[in-house]
Amino acid sequence: MENPIGSTKNTIKGLQLFIADLRTTQHSQDHEKRINYELVKIKKQFEPYANLSDPSSSSPSSTTATATTTSLKLDGYQRKKYVAKLAYIYITTNTSKLNELLFGLDQILNLIDSNHYSEKFMGYLILSLFFEHERIITLINHTRFLQRLLSDLSANKDDFTSLALNFIGTVGNLHSNLASNEEIVNSVFQIIRSPTSSQYLKKKSTLTFLSLLKNNLSILTDNFQRKQIWIQKIIALLDDTDNYRVTLTALPLVEYIASNIDPSYCFRIVPQLTDILYTCVVLGTKDSGIYRFPIEYKFANIPNPWLITKVVSLLSKLIAPPYQEIDPPRNMNKQCLHPSDLDPETLNKLRKCVVDAISLGHRKSSDPIERIVQNTVLFSLIKFAPKLDPSNEAIINSVNTLCLLLRSSEINIRYLTLDSLIQLCSDSGRVAVDTVSNENLDLIVHLMNNERDMSILRKTIDLLYILANVDTVKVIVAHYLNFISNMKQSSDPQVKSNVSVKIAVLIEKFATDPNWYIETSLKILSLTPDNSFHHDNIHNHLNDNNELWYRLCQIVVNNPQLRKLTCHNLLGYLVKRHTSEYIVKTAAFLLGQYPSLIVKQISIDNLFSIFAEKYYTVFNMTKAMILTTMIQLYKFEPNLVGSKVIKFFQLELNPLDIELQTRAYEYLKIIQISKMSGNMTLINTLFETMPSFNTKSNPLLKRLGGLQQDNHSNDSDIEFSKLTISNKISSDDSSKDAENIGPFNSVPNNISMQQPPLVPLSIKSRTAKNNRLPLPIQENNNNTNAKGLNNRYIQQMLTSTWKEGFTRMLQHKQGIFYSSPLIKILYRITHIEPYQIKIGFTYINQTEWDITGLSTEFIAAHIENNPEYIFQNIEALTSSNIKPHKRTEQNVQVVIRKPFNIEECPLMNVYFNCGSTSNHTTLKLGIAIISTINSEKLNSNTITSVTLPQFITRWRTLGTALGKEAECHVANILMVNTNETQERHNSIESMLTILQTRLKRIGMNIIEQTNVSNTLFVASIVHTKTDGNFGCLMKLQCQQDYTVNITCKTTLAGPLATYVVDCLRWIISN
Amino acid sequence: MTQLRYLLLISRQGKVRLMKWYTPLSSKEKTKITNELTQTVLARKPKMCNIINYSDHKVVYRRYASLYFIAGITPDIGNELLTLELIHRYVETMDAYFGNVCELDIIFNFTKAYDILNEMIMCDGSLAESSKRNILQTMTAMDSMDNHDKLDRVLS
Repeated sequence: MENPIGSTKNTIKGLQLFIADLRTTQHSQDHEKRINYELVKIKKQFEPYANLSDPSSSSPSSTTATATTTSLKLDGYQRKKYVAKLAYIYITTNTSKLNELLFGLDQILNLIDSNHYSEKFMGYLILSLFFEHERIITLINHTRFLQRLLSDLSANKDDFTSLALNFIGTVGNLHSNLASNEEIVNSVFQIIRSPTSSQYLKKKSTLTFLSLLKNNLSILTDNFQRKQIWIQKIIALLDDTDNYRVTLTALPLVEYIASNIDPSYCFRIVPQLTDILYTCVVLGTKDSGIYRFPIEYKFANIPNPWLITKVVSLLSKLIAPPYQEIDPPRNMNKQCLHPSDLDPETLNKLRKCVVDAISLGHRKSSDPIERIVQNTVLFSLIKFAPKLDPSNEAIINSVNTLCLLLRSSEINIRYLTLDSLIQLCSDSGRVAVDTVSNENLDLIVHLMNNERDMSILRKTIDLLYILANVDTVKVIVAHYLNFISNMKQSSDPQVKSNVSVKIAVLIEKFATDPNWYIETSLKILSLTPDNSFHHDNIHNHLNDNNELWYRLCQIVVNNPQLRKLTCHNLLGYLVKRHTSEYIVKTAAFLLGQYPSLIVKQISIDNLFSIFAEKYYTVFNMTKAMILTTMIQLYKFEPNLVGSKVIKFFQLELNPLDIELQTRAYEYLKIIQISKMSGNMTLINTLFETMPSFNTKSNPLLKRLGGLQQDNHSNDSDIEFSKLTISNKISSDDSSKDAENIGPFNSVPNNISMQQPPLVPLSIKSRTAKNNRLPLPIQENNNNTNAKGLNNRYIQQMLTSTWKEGFTRMLQHKQGIFYSSPLIKILYRITHIEPYQIKIGFTYINQTEWDITGLSTEFIAAHIENNPEYIFQNIEALTSSNIKPHKRTEQNVQVVIRKPFNIEECPLMNVYFNCGSTSNHTTLKLGIAIISTINSEKLNSNTITSVTLPQFITRWRTLGTALGKEAECHVANILMVNTNETQERHNSIESMLTILQTRLKRIGMNIIEQTNVSNTLFVASIVHTKTDGNFGCLMKLQCQQDYTVNITCKTTLAGPLATYVVDCLRWIISN
Repeated sequence: MTQLRYLLLISRQGKVRLMKWYTPLSSKEKTKITNELTQTVLARKPKMCNIINYSDHKVVYRRYASLYFIAGITPDIGNELLTLELIHRYVETMDAYFGNVCELDIIFNFTKAYDILNEMIMCDGSLAESSKRNILQTMTAMDSMDNHDKLDRVLS
């Protein structure tokens, strides 16, 4: 163990004494006295300055000068001491004395103004404590402080800069005043971009910038050019492969940009991130081997777990979740990458990382911290694994590893294992669910029954819920029921009701057998604790269990085939001695509605007696319901129970509860009126049978919180909010509750019959979670502009020298694409199919320094709605670092699906760091519609045989068939000479020769003829993958003034001819 | 979008020794969180899970000697185990700095305790420095500057 650095030398004696003093005065009164005494003392010390500074506050600079230079009694050390005492009072009184400390604020600012490091440090530190309060922020939000902050940010001394950065970085996201200050934002970014900033300042400024950005997104979104440049500089920060110190701080910033500003900027760094992850997880965890991860950046023998989890978290943001069954059209959803967009090498590396993390999870270790760290890595990668389009074995493997950890003796591990399993099962669907339930269901159930820790218990219950499907629902529900019936009374009632709700949702969702559904529903009701005993007027969330029986009643009312069975079972519960409150409520409602269904089992007379008996054991709310049931029984058999009902109501005329009294009185009156009128019309109208409910949502699902979204999408449309249904039910109730008993005719008759909630008696085709459509697809507006162009495409600004490489690539199969003092890019084109073009790029480092963090990005003009061309098989660079004068390579393919305009040729971005600068080049690829003409095998046998008469016949045929629709004529294109010497340019013959070479290079066929001397006749075929192949005939007429006239006809009506001519025009005039 | 919402150091007697808020909260909310968590966490038994659900977020805590380190994290963004490791790294660093750190060190040298924390964690709980050695180097540099200032004062 090295010697501790924190020695007592640096402490402030007065402060130490004060703290020690306070600690000895344990009694709160003495304590208070001591603090007040000290406050008075400090105030006295500060007072002269307050007097000095207040009147002269008009010129703050002079205040500073007086405060720091005049040799009054208070020197910097004392000021520091007193301010520190204030801070201690602030902490020890738990911030309650903040208002009495405000007088010291001025002195804190004076400390910050000091040129002594220790004073400045104390000033910033203590201000950052106080800054957590809105009041303080408004108090000090003036120019003096902001100026000081700015000058510290750009100070020559790194230490001062670091203090200012630390201050903004730790409190900057608490209030918008710093983030909206343009100067501060600029100075902070200046530190990030400056090649001379130290690593220490760079990492601090990165996080400082993040905290500003979090408060004010417009820093990057308001100005487009700034957005481009700044994001690029920020991404360049990731390239700190020696010890990843800056990378570690840049990752959260990049992740924030990816999720809140624009993920497309970050797609190109996926291979780079993968490499970092691979280095840490695969190479870094091996004890042997050439690669050794720097020990200082390991934690508990594992390479930087923070780095690993942050890389994984960023990758998860960039890669879209898997969609099974539905294969989304490529490139449609550009908010995220799909696993298929990744090149195979990257994907394999990522998969290897997951595999190694899993084996890391199996590694034995005696150090508990090391085990925790191993599992951190394991959990984060397992959560990420479903995004890598994993094979079934891979999923099974992950699940089995996790299940092993369920037996871990460490409680936190068990907790997180459950958490991961829940997520894995919801993300990977059926395979994962089956694996868990086939082999580990018993273990999980055992955990549920024996776990005493509430956090873990909840997770176990959630996991079982996720596991339930058509096959397992009965087993799981049985376990749940067993669990709640064995639960101790003392345990958390919320857990119990949580389980009840889960059962209710599961049985409604998966029930195939009505008997089972009804029996289980009633069983839960009988087991669920009634929380209303707290008192009826506490309408807190605990009372939500009412929804359980509301839902059952809705379903029974809407499904006549269930009624008889339910009533019969309810009766069974009622005759028992102890009946749960919910059962009584359900029975009061349903048996009151359908007494006819049970007359065979029990006489109405006896039924009345049962309710009359239960009446005295239940709460007022239920009593009110029973009163309604009684009058319904009266309606059914007025002669049999008439006198008893009347007697009962008369007794209830004087209870304590006003509601019951009102209800009894009014029901009595109704009976009286109907007796007087001699018929039952009034009662029959008032107590009509319940019409069907028309709510489409299941209120119970709301109570599952996030879980339902993870796994079970709902069959029933959840359009109605919980509010709607509870309103509906309470308005139904209120007529029974006698609250609005006045207007009797307000029995809900406006309820229509559309789509009642049905018990799923047959298993409908369920929409599993995984074939839910990816939502972001529809957000076209963000991604495309009016012309349907990819926004990312429009945003690019081409490097000034792009034309040279573009023109070359249009004509030549290989050559130099781009060259600068730093880097040279070569290309080579090969045709796999006429419409499928493979481009091999070679990047050569031209400098004496290493090029690092090389990454490329290819951008198509259209990515949605059936694009004209797409990129395919974009391979990773062989290496993202290039040693001086060495090279690295990359292959990419373009598939041309339809004709397209030369204006919309693909773009390419190249990013790299060299020396201490980060560089960026945007180039246009010379891949156009004429690139598909070039095809040796086709040329040889089909078109070369075309003769001039044939050409003329075809030309005419095309003219009559398609007319001007498929024709394009452009006159007077000035020919520009590039390589050939000036003299040869002078005659039409030489022009023809040049033109001929250029056309032949592209692959066009020039018909050999001697009849027309100044014209070339060209025939060729344009190939596309989707639209097919088209013939293309051209006349190129050379004129004396070095200009060319082109006429082109194609076998396709539309703009194809124009596209081809545009390409030729470019070649001729550039 | 904040991983770490706050970090509290609370003694076994329920006294707050250090607190740092990474999200803007009203004083009322802060007091509520502090009071409720002090109660909840102190009541928990040693063998219990170190992760608890509290209001809309998760709380990860760990006890070192007489001090409870309590961190509020945003679920799905913050990582529970990693937060435990973060706490551990903080304790380790203080341990190296003070030499077998105890509650008293943190009380008497609260500015240092805050400073180490600020060197480690910035913004929203993002780790600014994972290396213990680097933090200690910074701290040493700062202390020597402190000494230098003191010397200046004595000489002048």
